Amino acid sequence: MDGLALTLIFLFVLFLMLGSSVWIGVSLLAVAWVGMELFTSRPVGDAMALNIWGAASAWSLTALPLFVWMGEILFRTRLSENLFRGLTPWLHNLPGGLLHVNITGSAIFAAICGSSAATVLTVGKMAVPELKRRKYPESMIIGTLAGAGTLGLLIPPSIILIIYGVTVNESIVKLFIAGVLPGILLALLFMGYVAVWDMLGGNKERADKETYTASQRIRALGQLVPIISLILAVMSSIYFGVATATEAAVLGVLGAFAISWQQGSLTRENFMASLMGATRTSCMIAFILAGSHFLTLAMGFTGLPRTVAEWIASLELTPAMLIAVLAIFYIILGCFLDGISSIVLTMAVVEPIARQAGFDMIWFGIFLTIVVEIAQITPPIGFNLFVLQGMTGRDMDFIARAALPMFALMVLAVVIISLFPGIATWLPSQM
Amino acid sequence: MTDFFTRLDAALERLYLWAGYAAAGFLILVGLCVLSSILARVMGIYLAGINEYSGYAMAASSFLALAHTFRAGAHIRVALVRSRLREAGRWWLEIWCLVIASLMSCYLAWYLVKLTWVSWKFEEKSEGAAATLLWYPQTLVAIGSIIFAISVVHGLIRVIVRRDADGAVAPPTEVGAE
Repeated sequence: MDGLALTLIFLFVLFLMLGSSVWIGVSLLAVAWVGMELFTSRPVGDAMALNIWGAASAWSLTALPLFVWMGEILFRTRLSENLFRGLTPWLHNLPGGLLHVNITGSAIFAAICGSSAATVLTVGKMAVPELKRRKYPESMIIGTLAGAGTLGLLIPPSIILIIYGVTVNESIVKLFIAGVLPGILLALLFMGYVAVWDMLGGNKERADKETYTASQRIRALGQLVPIISLILAVMSSIYFGVATATEAAVLGVLGAFAISWQQGSLTRENFMASLMGATRTSCMIAFILAGSHFLTLAMGFTGLPRTVAEWIASLELTPAMLIAVLAIFYIILGCFLDGISSIVLTMAVVEPIARQAGFDMIWFGIFLTIVVEIAQITPPIGFNLFVLQGMTGRDMDFIARAALPMFALMVLAVVIISLFPGIATWLPSQM
Repeated sequence: MTDFFTRLDAALERLYLWAGYAAAGFLILVGLCVLSSILARVMGIYLAGINEYSGYAMAASSFLALAHTFRAGAHIRVALVRSRLREAGRWWLEIWCLVIASLMSCYLAWYLVKLTWVSWKFEEKSEGAAATLLWYPQTLVAIGSIIFAISVVHGLIRVIVRRDADGAVAPPTEVGAE
């Protein structure tokens, strides 16, 4: 059989496994095994064991479970109330009113949590009922939350950026720092959209006419002090090179315990729940990473990455066209796979393409993260959409439609950071 | 006989849960390793190989948690087709998924045990500063992968015997469930 036929078999097995709902980690292992058996005469099992052992015990990955744990602890505190109470007096006068709480609340929570579903849950827990009570249109409540929740992926600490950094051997610290400004840019885009929508007469039935005095506003800030100080402590320790990403994660866990304890949320149940939740999530991710590591090895033998890279090179696409093609590819992939899986699954093929095209790999990581963020809100598989479905009880169609403007804004953000790559690369270059 | 299987079922369930607790312990150990390296640096002491140990603790945690994570339904999958099938179709699909998963998890466990055995036989040491005998941490990883393989095969048998498409994964019921 020639290479092309083998490659087609390989891809067929991949789609068969993933499509028939085989667990993603298992699918990756199985596909890699098929690839190795087809393309090499090496003893596959031993290569697999060594490869997976190496992936699972890599020190650079230890930041991941710790940041997951930090998010799990904070998820079980009263931060969602704190965010709502602290932000409301400051934002209710803006055009668009409390919808901005959804966005800024998500941006802030994203800075202590690397998961987008947890961000949506935490911010939405308090904001959705409160905004409904004040008669904000539900499509806007859901839309802003779906969109802004994805900031959890981009604003550091970000699980996706850790995984990307480990996969392509780039500095996690630099990636974290690079994610800050694009994250703020996205938040501003969302807020701008809400403001314009309101000024064009969007919100007619708004039922909140409270006013807040200056002293009330100042006191409200007190609600935000713990979380803001934790963010500053973690981020500045990374930025000024005092701590590595892993060390900052431990500081984050300690800080999260401090906040949880101070709020009286640090019960034995909450501690165990956060620990076991973090253990399961980290295990799930580690299993996928182990599988993808083995798949990357197998991919090397199939020659697929080189073939695709050569083919792409032969098309002589301009960088802008290549970016557009990759963006569309990942958005489509994201309709079926979650962000982590789509990145680890494709990196073996996409990394050589990106390097060959001369992209800055830090910038490329940010680009990828925004693109897979978009995937979080595209049906039929969009994790934020599922979370919101569970939270609001509306059907998927309504929720996907509500998230549509946010989808457009995120595509706009991809265009902006492609035109002005400095938004991602300037801050890390100043370190 | 039924009684025996019910008891075995419950015993295995406990095994997964306790392996999960052990995994959680290793997650705490990862944190403690990193914390001690920070403290050591602040005090100007050099701790050889502490990074290496945190990596081993993470590997142990990841693998020991595999079975528990599997039972808790926390391993992700593309549920697009699965969720659109009726009961009978879902049952067949689940058997297919579990057969693949059983084969792969047993294969993985076999070779991780072999890796550990080779490391033990040749007394292989890590390349890092700690020069740890690799079979210590690898044993934990191998044990985790064996428990995982058991849990997947267990899930397969349960799905077949109970004719229940969702029998392989149960909602977590232990303390600490979300």
